[in-house]
Amino acid sequence: MQDRAIIHLNVTDFAVAVERVCDRSLVQIPLIVAPVHAARGVVYDMSEEAYQEGVRKGMALSVARRYCPRAKVLDPRISLYRRAMTALVKQVDRYTPLVEQGAEDGHLFMDVTGTHRLFGPAPDIAMRLRKQVLTSLGLNPVWSLASNKLVAKVASRMVKPFGEYIVGTGEEHSFLAPLPLTLLPGLKGGEVKVFADFNLSTIGDLAGLSRQQLMVPFQKRGSYLYDASRGRDCSPVAMHRDASLQIVREHVFADDTHEYGELKSVLTALVHEVGGSLRRKKMLVRRIGISLVYSDGRSCSRQATEKAGTDNDFHLRRLALTALDRAWKRRIRVRSCVLCCDRFLPRSPQQALFVVESAQELQQQKVLAALDAVRDRFGKKSLCLGASV
Amino acid sequence: MTADTSLCPVLVGTSGYSYTEWVDGGFYPQGTRTPQMLALYARSFPVVELNYTWYQMVRAEAIQRMIAQAPEDFLFAAKLTRTLTHERERDWKQELALYREGIKPLEKQLAAILIQLPPEFNWSVQNRYYLACLLDSLHDFPVAVEFRHISWARDSVFTELEQRRVTLVTVDAPSLPGLFPCLDIVTNPALFFVRFHGRNVQGWQTGNIQKKFDYSYCRDELQEWNEKYLYSLRSRAEKGIVFFNNHVCAQAPDNARMFRKLIV
Repeated sequence: MQDRAIIHLNVTDFAVAVERVCDRSLVQIPLIVAPVHAARGVVYDMSEEAYQEGVRKGMALSVARRYCPRAKVLDPRISLYRRAMTALVKQVDRYTPLVEQGAEDGHLFMDVTGTHRLFGPAPDIAMRLRKQVLTSLGLNPVWSLASNKLVAKVASRMVKPFGEYIVGTGEEHSFLAPLPLTLLPGLKGGEVKVFADFNLSTIGDLAGLSRQQLMVPFQKRGSYLYDASRGRDCSPVAMHRDASLQIVREHVFADDTHEYGELKSVLTALVHEVGGSLRRKKMLVRRIGISLVYSDGRSCSRQATEKAGTDNDFHLRRLALTALDRAWKRRIRVRSCVLCCDRFLPRSPQQALFVVESAQELQQQKVLAALDAVRDRFGKKSLCLGASV
Repeated sequence: MTADTSLCPVLVGTSGYSYTEWVDGGFYPQGTRTPQMLALYARSFPVVELNYTWYQMVRAEAIQRMIAQAPEDFLFAAKLTRTLTHERERDWKQELALYREGIKPLEKQLAAILIQLPPEFNWSVQNRYYLACLLDSLHDFPVAVEFRHISWARDSVFTELEQRRVTLVTVDAPSLPGLFPCLDIVTNPALFFVRFHGRNVQGWQTGNIQKKFDYSYCRDELQEWNEKYLYSLRSRAEKGIVFFNNHVCAQAPDNARMFRKLIV
């Protein structure tokens, strides 16, 4: 089997980096990106200067301001970060189709195994890519190269906020051994405490334990920890979802809301829009996801699925409301909600042989067909469901 | 033909050794994995140029692992990191201190530190000052300098290098305007240093490393080069190292072997 070449590209403090590209006057000023007007806003991202002063992601903004009083606070602009991420991925797409990206966080993995004949050695690809990103987007990413994602990610963490690191194949174990355990990706809060209890401080300490020994305190996670501490990670670079395979609609509330009725009506309107689009494309959707962004900057995403798939607005609404009930668990106002549909099926032109649709369903279909016809002729806003008003 | 005893010994190797395409190219046996490559390479050549030290700051532990895989008399030439030559955005003194620290384990196995300067690095006052500072800071290491800009081809430069006992790298590259020419000048009698980049004129201009170094020297070309430059270099130095940088499709090790046969 050929040794893999995985590049991890990471724009440190992505939101801050993007804000600084948009406004050069922000360079070298300590920055905190957090919802400014929220009552209990938390830090979404911060600059290196603010980090050095003690500000951390997820920290209450009021606390962060006390740590770094000279910091400038900016409201998060998620859509801007999303666009910047798309532009970053576009640069990378030229080298390999195997790209795994994070959500607007400036992280991505690329599998460039076997591309040397086209683009040269992997370190050269990474270096060129960094240059391209710097020239075209003004972002200066950290890059690392290793034989798997886990080691590449640790290597990036080693050189932040700028730099590069190449971990040769076969050097994974010796590279990780002296590093503190906190650098190991994917650790859960409780595990860090157990490491401390067992007086384990470095990854090498953890690698000194057998799989069986690790199973005792960590059960199923023991196996992951065993492999991770040795720099073993067979997980593939999961290709990013093609945007064309998703329908995404977002609504940002003029004023943050905690009115369930308001959210329901917004979702109904979004679902109605999506339903019309599905019927035009003769597609059925099997999964609907709802992402809620709260006033304090935190977000929560949940899904609901229907195995057979549907393009019926009434069914879609039911699914969306189920996902909403799963997602909305906090007593905090909601700033925006995103409706995301994926897992599509083509609608079969064939009639069902044995399943007889209920009279109500047939009626709904007729209503929807009529709705679509009116909206096609007189515009989308000409007719809508009462529940969306 | 017998070997001329008045001529110095020449060590032949390649620029880099860790190329997966050299497995496909037949230099490494099928199934060879990256960690096994240096040991296999050392069976064929006595010296290697470390390319990866250009991409990232050299680290002592990585060098130690490398030394452990190679025979004791095996030599390494290490490229200076790009943050000291091509991308001087950081504090160069700090970077150089890191480099010196990282390279330390090589000690007697260090053939030379190769300072490869970018094509836009011309003979300006600022660049001369920087190069002088760099050479001062590396005065306790064997150093070789490769210029890419033609403006450095002047006697004052050669004299200065001679005084500092710094090796001027002899390059064989496509003959393009503005490129530093191939010269048989020995500025350091202890060592001459040759780099064969290939003569792919079109590839050189693309900037794509895979096209730039995609070239295979034929026997006649190497023979002609030897007659023109090598005799002169060998007669004026104590030792020479020759590297082939045309790594694409394992052409470099093929040419290095061919070259070695020609000079026996």
